[in-house]
Amino acid sequence: MDVLGSLGDGFWIAITWQNMALALLGCFLGTVMGALPGLGPSNGVAILIPLAFTLGLPATPAMILLTSVYFGAMYGGRISSILLNIPGDEPAMMTCLDGYPMAQQGRAGEALALSGVASFVGAFLSTWGLVFLAPQLVKLALLFGPAEYFALFTLAFATLGGISSSNQAKSAFAAALGVGIAMVGVDGQTGVPRFTFGEVHLYDGIDFLVAIVGLFALSEVFVFLEHRGKETAEGKAATVGIGRITPSMSVLRKCTPTMLRGSALGFVAGVLPGAGASLGSFIAYSFEKKLVDREGTFGKGDPRGVAAPEAGNNAAAGGALVPMLALGVPGSGTTAVLLAMLLALNITPGPLLFQQNPDVVWGLIAALFIANFMLLAMNIPMVGMFVRVLLVPPRILMPIVAMVSFVGIYGISGSSFDLLVMVVFGLLGWVLRKLDVPLVPIILGVLLGNQMEANLRRALTISDGEWGILFASPLALVLWAIAIIGFILPIVVGGVMRRKMRGGLAD
Amino acid sequence: MRFSLDSRGLFAAGALAGAMLAGAMPADRALAFEPENPECIAPANPGGGWDFTCRQVGKTLQDLGLVDGTVQVTNIAGGGGGVAFAEVVNKRADDNDLIVAASSATSTRLAQGAYPGNTMDQVRWLASVGADYGIIAVAKDSPIATLPELMDQIKADPKSVSIAGGSAVGGWDHLKVLIAAQAAGIDDVRTIKYVAFDGGGEAVTQLLAGSVQAFTGDASEAKGFVDSGDIKVIAVLAPERLEGDFASFPTAAEQGLDVVGANWRGFYAPGNMSDEAYDFWVESIGSVYDSDEWKSIMAQNGLAPLDLRGPEFEAFVAESVSRINGLSKEIGLIQ
Amino acid sequence: MSDRVFGGIGLALAVFFIWQATQIQLSFISDPVGPRTFPIIVGVVLGLASLVILIRPDAAPDWPRATRLLEIAVAAAVMVAYALLLPELGFVIATALAATYLTWRLGTVPLWSFVVGIAISLGIYAVFALALGLSLARGPLGF
Repeated sequence: MDVLGSLGDGFWIAITWQNMALALLGCFLGTVMGALPGLGPSNGVAILIPLAFTLGLPATPAMILLTSVYFGAMYGGRISSILLNIPGDEPAMMTCLDGYPMAQQGRAGEALALSGVASFVGAFLSTWGLVFLAPQLVKLALLFGPAEYFALFTLAFATLGGISSSNQAKSAFAAALGVGIAMVGVDGQTGVPRFTFGEVHLYDGIDFLVAIVGLFALSEVFVFLEHRGKETAEGKAATVGIGRITPSMSVLRKCTPTMLRGSALGFVAGVLPGAGASLGSFIAYSFEKKLVDREGTFGKGDPRGVAAPEAGNNAAAGGALVPMLALGVPGSGTTAVLLAMLLALNITPGPLLFQQNPDVVWGLIAALFIANFMLLAMNIPMVGMFVRVLLVPPRILMPIVAMVSFVGIYGISGSSFDLLVMVVFGLLGWVLRKLDVPLVPIILGVLLGNQMEANLRRALTISDGEWGILFASPLALVLWAIAIIGFILPIVVGGVMRRKMRGGLAD
Repeated sequence: MRFSLDSRGLFAAGALAGAMLAGAMPADRALAFEPENPECIAPANPGGGWDFTCRQVGKTLQDLGLVDGTVQVTNIAGGGGGVAFAEVVNKRADDNDLIVAASSATSTRLAQGAYPGNTMDQVRWLASVGADYGIIAVAKDSPIATLPELMDQIKADPKSVSIAGGSAVGGWDHLKVLIAAQAAGIDDVRTIKYVAFDGGGEAVTQLLAGSVQAFTGDASEAKGFVDSGDIKVIAVLAPERLEGDFASFPTAAEQGLDVVGANWRGFYAPGNMSDEAYDFWVESIGSVYDSDEWKSIMAQNGLAPLDLRGPEFEAFVAESVSRINGLSKEIGLIQ
Repeated sequence: MSDRVFGGIGLALAVFFIWQATQIQLSFISDPVGPRTFPIIVGVVLGLASLVILIRPDAAPDWPRATRLLEIAVAAAVMVAYALLLPELGFVIATALAATYLTWRLGTVPLWSFVVGIAISLGIYAVFALALGLSLARGPLGF
């Protein structure tokens, strides 16, 4: 088999003491940076590029180091989601929904170990996907024109209704607020400033990291300030049980189909430029909830609600390498940084990369396999260490969280303005939590809003303002059908049914 | 989003060659100025043309031993370079260690007043390091084979052709098409359908996907796809044919449309930079341009020669700003 | 009641957003949709959602007493001061002060808070500046 032969050559390139040490270092640093709020995979990789240069690494080892950081950060993001209810980076946002309730029930260790396994499954399967399906997947990416992207993003928003349980109006409000925030900045299509109020710092828009760290991490600090004095009882409850630090076989067995489905969905989302890991974890979670959540346990600490998004976001990380390597198009912030690194090393990604630089490509892929096993080996034993974070009393833990959040943002942007925006988001997050408004749709809106608008406008430019183009291709129709039949109709019909039933009772 | 990356020690082998080159040069070059922490701002995210300019020139500066240590590359994205421009004008006006990557996109936006409150006189223009000539391309299986054919089709049925590019409406990629259309006798250039994508890479992808019929961009952006034969270049907007891989593609002038669209690449520096520092940077970037290492980088990336330094470059930018300003008014992009 | 106020504010925000969207300048050559349409759609969704919240409110949450609201407001003010003073004082000093304040207000005795604050600041500095090499704010003392 040709592909396997190339992969074998890749292992020959990858397995040297130096490369192994780099992969180990990258995995460790990536996990730590992923866990710290404010430092996500893209910043993590960007921060370590100087290190790669300092060491004077040639192309293959440099890429091995940086992709290990990338995958490590995707693993690490879940840790703070589960332990603190603060996503370490944006794709780990969905892991909060069931991971944190599990931790509150004294199952933190189990949640961490399970999510570690799910991360491994997602990353491992997507690396195989990269090996065998890259050329076919490029064709898949080419099926997505602007109209199809718009339908895909609409589908993502339609699934929101299935996620946040109680009040649909509030999750619609949150999503619209997020998209509205994304509108701030210079319009990418015509170059005119929008909602900037003459403030040049806003021309660039509001960075989603600033929003996510403010909404989740700082608002958590405010929540603790609000409840100070009362937390003794709750604090004790949280530290009562760290629980077992390995998942039971029965839970693993129950979650296996979930992980496989999550991996597949996440991988496809990763392959599409512009969708990326956040969409991967989001769709993996919402489809899984739709599919298996009959008892309504999702959102209350269901292990499958941890396994699905973790498999999804790690699979998306592997998928995102497909368009980067094969088309030279970065599908996410992280792959944009990796692409820049390749260019700086005088390697042009694109259709010919697999032929022109097979050593780089296959060495990289082999290194991904190795990094995956390292991460699994590293993450499962480290669960016992991570959960000890919960033993730190909140009066000390929370100031650390706050200061780390500030540093993470400031260290990248060097901008006090960003910190001020973050404090505003912190207060907003606190008020919205009080009012029971879900925060996840806001982040989704900030992440996807611009892409959604840009693709709508591109589609309508191509069709001369004819809105029919949005429904013109079979693929777009399928996406619309899933959105409407799968997610929007049930909400509408369900609402009508409930009202009728209530009306019937009143008669 | 901003990233701070530097290119310390990149290319160990290159550094060795650089040390040898540096040894060959007169060692007693009297310098009135020596930057302590040389920094290059790329006014966009990593991966774009400005980022490339900063990185490659920074690396060559190091390899040639023209700067001590490393050139820190800082990415300050936003406002099509406007955020970085404002930052340099407002906060770093007397920083002698700083250079900023610029290109035709910078002069286009300055000409159209897209950097609010900023003009080209607020900074000092250093030197150019080459030009990336524009290309117009179609998919490999497109029935269109020449630029006049494309223009004829637009004339006959403007709705049937969508052209994708990596800049916003009114940006450089868009203007190139409009200039060509004017030359081909299309009077109302507003009828031309231009679709703006986030960068040349995405735009080419949509050409391959069949969402659009043509692509406007720079030669370097399309190189990977030209080599693989996925796209067909129908015109190079250069005064004469390019060298290397692009030599087989005809210029627009050969096809009877006298259009030249050069995306020059170069640098500006803060407005209050001292004359000593200004001279240092002009001379250093000039040395980079003259080096063999830079010549091979230019060849690899489809860059054509454009060698303008100091006041000459300043005059060139001024001329280009006023020309684009006039053109934008004529087309109606600005009042 | 809370939701009614919230819905009202949301509605006002939506109106403001739509009004601002109509003020966006148009360039001479524009795409068929233009830069205004999508924000207006978003504003309408925002307004409709707010209206539903206003008409059918959930039960009001337990709002903290005024002293606790003040506590949160002061903490936010400290964070704002931190953001502004960071470039002036340098990372270590500014962070130590802010961390001390937060630790104290979360229920640690003052002296210990000070110790913890300094430890947090130095710890973060060691990890981010020394190990990861991020450029944190440099004050007059160089750290």
